[in-house]
Amino acid sequence: MATLELNQLTKHFGPVVAVDQVTFSVEQGTVVGFLGPNGAGKTTTLRMLLGLVTPTGGTATINGRPYRDLAEPRHVVGATLEASNPYPGRTAVDHLRIEALAGDAPRARVDEVLDLVDLTEAAGRRVGQYSLGMRQRLGLATALLCDPEILILDEPANGLDPEGVHWLRRLLRHLATEGRTVLVSSHILAEVAQTVDSVVIMDHGRLVSQATLAELTERAAQGIRVRTPRPEQLATLLAENGAAAYVVGPDRLEVTGASGELIGTLAAEAAIPIFETTAETADLEDIFLQLTGNPAEKEAIR
Amino acid sequence: MNRLVRVELLKLRTMRVTYGLLGVSIAITAFFASLQASGAGRAVAPLSTAAGLGDVTTAGGVAMILAAVLGVIVTSGEFRHTSATLTYLATPNRRKVLGAKAIATALVGACYGVAAWIVATAVGLIFVASHGDHVTLGAGALIGHVVGAGVGGALLAALGVAVGSLVRAQLAGVIGVFVWCLVIESVIGANFTAVRPYLPYTAATTLGGAKLGAAAFGPGFTVTAQEALPFLAAAAIVVAIDAAVALLAERTTVRHDIT
Repeated sequence: MATLELNQLTKHFGPVVAVDQVTFSVEQGTVVGFLGPNGAGKTTTLRMLLGLVTPTGGTATINGRPYRDLAEPRHVVGATLEASNPYPGRTAVDHLRIEALAGDAPRARVDEVLDLVDLTEAAGRRVGQYSLGMRQRLGLATALLCDPEILILDEPANGLDPEGVHWLRRLLRHLATEGRTVLVSSHILAEVAQTVDSVVIMDHGRLVSQATLAELTERAAQGIRVRTPRPEQLATLLAENGAAAYVVGPDRLEVTGASGELIGTLAAEAAIPIFETTAETADLEDIFLQLTGNPAEKEAIR
Repeated sequence: MNRLVRVELLKLRTMRVTYGLLGVSIAITAFFASLQASGAGRAVAPLSTAAGLGDVTTAGGVAMILAAVLGVIVTSGEFRHTSATLTYLATPNRRKVLGAKAIATALVGACYGVAAWIVATAVGLIFVASHGDHVTLGAGALIGHVVGAGVGGALLAALGVAVGSLVRAQLAGVIGVFVWCLVIESVIGANFTAVRPYLPYTAATTLGGAKLGAAAFGPGFTVTAQEALPFLAAAAIVVAIDAAVALLAERTTVRHDIT
């Protein structure tokens, strides 16, 4: 049984379809990136998973049960969500004391998690005086307080400086090595690409892809560029063998639908010299942008 | 449930507004009690009488209003500051959370009522002593009023919790409490005297020994010979109003999406 299971999950806000029949699962002990541009429906999906928003249709379960039915939910799931903050007039340590009491965690955990997120020195300051990055760290401390087996982190890198993002990656890797299940959302693939095992990609409320990083990289392979003095002859030969080959220069052609081995074999049989072959791949970010249909952003990145 | 109440008490203990409202209620009570005591014997009964002294020692109505305001802040503040998400992640059962908030805030509201009545009683006794009068209210009556004020403060604080959950918008909730207690109850009380004992703020103040209308403002500040409800009946009325508003909140807004 999957640790997290979403089945046909749907949410309408009046006429707006925020989440449209989203189905995916997260296996125990995996780190999954939950990706999509802003407004894709990620946070609403996570809020439905966590029992904060009632779905219009479908189900979402954690270890086979809705979040609301978990006996000690904080011991099972630690979560940080966008647009959720501690009371700003309270100090961080008081906030964590309250959360520890609510989650039945030992008082000593408060100091441990403060140390873990490097907020010990600022623990006595009111949360309202915290920077966005510090509030993110405090959110992570809150999520980790009851030592849960599952972590659901919504845009945890928002507001973190480059050093903070690096720290977050190390933390996620550390959590993964402990065998925890982590679902981490982001609108930037690069933020999580170094950490996750697989990704779930949403756009406009719909799930557009669930794949491992390896599968995504494989999809990213776009073709092979070949340098040869007889491009037209090789293109014809490749076309006869089911590949698509286009002459793009006096000594160049681009080939899709054929492996490097096939190109080499066909060229050798026809005694066509090959000077160079280059596999052309789009990077993961390009694939992400293609899947989420944001050509302007894609162009800007290029 | 016990743990949830402790959580809510810890939240109240770590909010500055809890102490701020208590301080304000004590200061205003001291002011009104002093004003009442200094005017005793002219427009109102002299301090040498039980009625005159009672008017001073029960002049803490504002503490009950502020107890209700605290209740509104406790629940609506969760939405204003977006901390409701954290609360309901820890305890997905929203009905239990609402109940725990009501109990914890009621305990603090009781402290508001007790503190205000003690201050008002102290002011009254100081004026009596300064005039060289005898204390015409027995210790039993004074203590009874203080205990009753605690009950009244608790019930209005719990009512505030339900109102805050129902309204969600903090400013609207706080203004609503003031308008209800200071304007609407005064107007209704002045024009429909038969209804007056059943109004929540008025009934709560009578639990602390205040005469009907004595805790009102504006046109409602017309103390009449009309008898307040018996203690248990007045308490039952406010409990019933608390329960009705809490049920309405539970059936409507408590189930809403936390976005």
